[in-house]
Amino acid sequence: MTAAYRETVRVAQAPSWKKTVRSWVPKRWYAHLILIVACFMSGIPLFYALLVSTQTNAEVFRYQFSAGSGLEANWNVVFHERHLHTYMINSVIMTAGITFFKTIFSLLSGLAFVYFRFPGKWLVFGFVLITLMMPTEVLIIALFRFINDLDWQNTFYALIVPFTASATGTFLFRQHFASIPAEMSEAAQLDGANPLQFLFRVLVPMSWNTIGALAVVQTIYAWNMYLWPNMIISNPDMQTIQTGIGTLRLGGGALRFGPLMLGTVIVSLPPVIVFILLQKQFMSGFTLTRDK
Amino acid sequence: MVVSPVVLMIMGAVVGAAALAFVFRRAGGRPLIGLGIGAIAGAFGSALFMVPLDYCTFEAERQSLDRVFGMIFVLAGIALVVTPVSWLSGKLLRRESLMADDQTQGTFRHWWIALPLLAPTLTILVLFLYYPSLETLRLSTMLSRLGARREVFVCVDNFTRLVNDPAYVDTFVRTMFISFSIVVLSMSLSLLIASMAYLPLRGASIYRILLVWPYAMSPAVAGIIFLLMFNPSGGLVNHLFGKWFGIKLGWLNDPAVAPWTIILASVWKSMGFNILFYIAGLQNVPKDLIEAGAIDGAGLLRRFWHIVWPMLSPITFFLIVTNLTYAFFETYATIDYLTPGGGPLQSTTTMMYRVIQLGVQNNDMGKAAAQSIVLFLTVIGMTIVLFRTGGRQVNYGV
Amino acid sequence: MKKLVFLSIALVMVIALALPASPISAQEKTKIDVWIAFQDYRWDWAKAVAAEFNEMFPQYEVVVTGGYSYETMFAQVAVAAEQGQLPAVVQYFEAATQDARDSGLFKPIADALGDRTEINGLTVDMEDYVAPVIAYYTLDGKFTSMPWNTSSAITFTNMNYLRAAGWDKPPATWQEIDAACEAVMALDKAPEYCWTFPNHGWFFEQWMAVQNALYVNNGNGREERATEVAFNSDAGVALLEWLDDQYNKGYLYYSGAQGGDSWSTVDQAYSTQQIAIAVYSSSDTTLYTEMGEEGGFESVASFYPYNGEVGWTGNLIGGATLWLVDGLDPAVEEGALTFLVYFTNTENAADWHKVTGYIPIRMSAYQMLTEEGYYEANPNQTVALEQLAQSTITPATSGALVGGFPSIRNVVTAAIDRVLLTDADPAEVLAQAAAESNVIIEEYNLLNAP
Repeated sequence: MTAAYRETVRVAQAPSWKKTVRSWVPKRWYAHLILIVACFMSGIPLFYALLVSTQTNAEVFRYQFSAGSGLEANWNVVFHERHLHTYMINSVIMTAGITFFKTIFSLLSGLAFVYFRFPGKWLVFGFVLITLMMPTEVLIIALFRFINDLDWQNTFYALIVPFTASATGTFLFRQHFASIPAEMSEAAQLDGANPLQFLFRVLVPMSWNTIGALAVVQTIYAWNMYLWPNMIISNPDMQTIQTGIGTLRLGGGALRFGPLMLGTVIVSLPPVIVFILLQKQFMSGFTLTRDK
Repeated sequence: MVVSPVVLMIMGAVVGAAALAFVFRRAGGRPLIGLGIGAIAGAFGSALFMVPLDYCTFEAERQSLDRVFGMIFVLAGIALVVTPVSWLSGKLLRRESLMADDQTQGTFRHWWIALPLLAPTLTILVLFLYYPSLETLRLSTMLSRLGARREVFVCVDNFTRLVNDPAYVDTFVRTMFISFSIVVLSMSLSLLIASMAYLPLRGASIYRILLVWPYAMSPAVAGIIFLLMFNPSGGLVNHLFGKWFGIKLGWLNDPAVAPWTIILASVWKSMGFNILFYIAGLQNVPKDLIEAGAIDGAGLLRRFWHIVWPMLSPITFFLIVTNLTYAFFETYATIDYLTPGGGPLQSTTTMMYRVIQLGVQNNDMGKAAAQSIVLFLTVIGMTIVLFRTGGRQVNYGV
Repeated sequence: MKKLVFLSIALVMVIALALPASPISAQEKTKIDVWIAFQDYRWDWAKAVAAEFNEMFPQYEVVVTGGYSYETMFAQVAVAAEQGQLPAVVQYFEAATQDARDSGLFKPIADALGDRTEINGLTVDMEDYVAPVIAYYTLDGKFTSMPWNTSSAITFTNMNYLRAAGWDKPPATWQEIDAACEAVMALDKAPEYCWTFPNHGWFFEQWMAVQNALYVNNGNGREERATEVAFNSDAGVALLEWLDDQYNKGYLYYSGAQGGDSWSTVDQAYSTQQIAIAVYSSSDTTLYTEMGEEGGFESVASFYPYNGEVGWTGNLIGGATLWLVDGLDPAVEEGALTFLVYFTNTENAADWHKVTGYIPIRMSAYQMLTEEGYYEANPNQTVALEQLAQSTITPATSGALVGGFPSIRNVVTAAIDRVLLTDADPAEVLAQAAAESNVIIEEYNLLNAP
């Protein structure tokens, strides 16, 4: 597509965007139809889960498509008979811990990689870079053993510490800091600021978007972690929600769908709200980081 | 010893010397120095895995398959040492900076301050990524159980038995099938929906929110909700199917159907993410390009294929990588809630699921470690292939 | 927008923190940690009894920690053992008996008790515990672990279906199940399937015992350490052929779930009346009887179905026992032992039996309930105990002792899975499962045998 050709097109009275749309999709209601079907398909499982969360098991098996009479009983199962709040508190602590420390550590290492020149920097950088290719999942058996050797099973250390270093976070901030003009740091040094002062007084205020992006991605990732807590936590009082909601189905006897769905809906709300409201941050965060 | 370590070292030295001599010549260094460095690197590489293994694969009583594995380890060791050495010497000879975009201005004076700044990250990486990696390698050569009195060294038996195990080959093929189905279905449906949702229709922003939210649901929750709908006795879907079509499918207990239930749940969960990125990508396609195509009178599909699709390739590539990771690792939770135990006839047992089953439930850590290494090599191999075929022209400007 | 998000996150955190947290007590008491494998109403029951105990004996503080399942408890104990972080008492299921024995971590109850007849004022009467249980857990001539939740496998029948099909009592043999199912499935209002069982290794073991067939060699591992499985015998093949036949005829419902996760699928099928007969554990007798009351059908318990061509020898016990950790501080050991005696006293044994359906492990509890007239009102509750009482004790019906048992169970359930879902020959599948299991035993013995 040459520039000249493009120019000709523009001169030849470019059709309006709406006209293009019409030419792109033969009839507008096609698009509406497909979108409505798609929204319906993606929404129906959650909608049904919502209905079931208010129903008794008997109502579930009558396939009743309206709110049922079991909400209070289900609520009691979720918060009194089982302890979803315990799991939620644990997950909040884990998520906050991972997000907070990962952000801080990434900021520090980003600072070191951009604003310092030290021997063997490329080697250290490569050392961090290579960890991008080591997914935690394939190391999980050895990690499990190691955490047990440290005597960390059933502690928040096990849930938080292994996930606080991040090659992706480091790169994210390195990239961002490198785009900030060098004059900033020269000026700061003339003012006698030390590196940490420079980081927290100058860089951080200029990086809220990047920090926010990383934080959103990490929050959703940590909140949704399943495999690792499931392996390392065996004490129910320390369990996090993704495994914890599984206990709601154990009532002795048949699966109790009402409490299970109530729990499911409750634990899904925080990440969904965060995700919907911070979509843009999430995307920029995710594009630059691979989840780790 | 069928093959002596000395022979292997000489072999490594020859390979290394040839590679380095070539690199030195091309970069204008003295080939003879390259020859020397390469010989040392190659000899060292040949011993990299073999010394910890004590050259056990070449013992006389071992099978030929063990020797094949031994040779693979020797070659891998040589490659692991010689490649970075040649890369490094090439860079040094050409006097290129080792870090391409290193900042030179505005740096702080006392370089050692960088050490405490890097310390937390490096410590965590060493303890919780590097050390477990080495430990995984060590465990993969052992029979090991938690709480047992002893560990037993078994050379490469944990690997060779996988080759001879039809069940594992099945698991491998099934993992590929499930993963690729998830990626292909999720991405193509997402592209279709995104190409509608990015249009400036009335209510577009509402559509977008209603389409993307499932991403934030966890894989575990996807499993639970699909369990509610798809469980064969008493699930909603079978109830409706029975009423409308008079058939009931074994969504979770029929080995031919169960993998599709997993795929469906994973596609449902992952589509939001793909739609979000495709909408963004489509919005970045210059509108005049599409208009130009329209004026040319090119058909809908042709316009899409020749104009829009190439513009989306960076996003597509990015999505393939993230979706594959999701399909390989994160589906574990979905499987665990939908078909605990790995499904009828192991039909939903993926490689990841098998690792955990073996390592945690059966307490058979050595074999589980060996299988994680196979899984790791599979994922790395696929990523490399992807980068070779599609990743080169991609620029990350999403 | 961003503020809104942060506000809502803050709100969530506040709500989460405001919700009642679990009570934390820290006092100068002898703390006795008890780990059990339940996290449902059975855990609640144990915690309630522990609370009573703590009130009665203020010098002790028993803390009952729940777990997800027997299988995960097994792994958890292995981990804790590696660092010497064991609690005072661990609940181990019957399949872990050999592993527990090899670990050298536990002290036989007999050794800890000595010849005392009283501990902290509580009477100890080992004669009062039910004989088959004592037999199962008497290893090397010593009573090893304290029985608590002991069950047997029995049959629950939805008599509404059976009566409609012309049967006035539950089928007792494989052949009768076949005949009854033919009649049930021919009903106008036939259920979706006729019968089911959880594909848990324990049921295979029961069916081997019923046929007086060994599960592993060396007298089911009771004469000498087991080195090979023995289940690939005619008895094993006959069982798989029968199951395959039932499945192919469309009588047997198979949920696809295996092991610990298979239980609830059977609960669901039975409670929603999608099947007429559930072969299940007696541990949930109470629940299965209630399912009938709630669903408006008569739920009747009966003996485990046996092969009519071979006859019935006896059934195994199942469930779990409480193991006392070795090397405890003497005060802790004394407290733990006191708790074990209290936990299984007559009243608690009777209550536990009524709440769940596990057998009454104390004869006195059984007598007490009989005098109360409990069994007249609840005939289902006697079935498991009678079944065990009528069993002939042979090596086969004493239950297998073998290392790596939980892993072998996974191999067995996978074999059943294959027989049901494919055309594979049962004998071949079983032979292959035996070969796989033998590797497990060999490796286990290599690593664990003293």
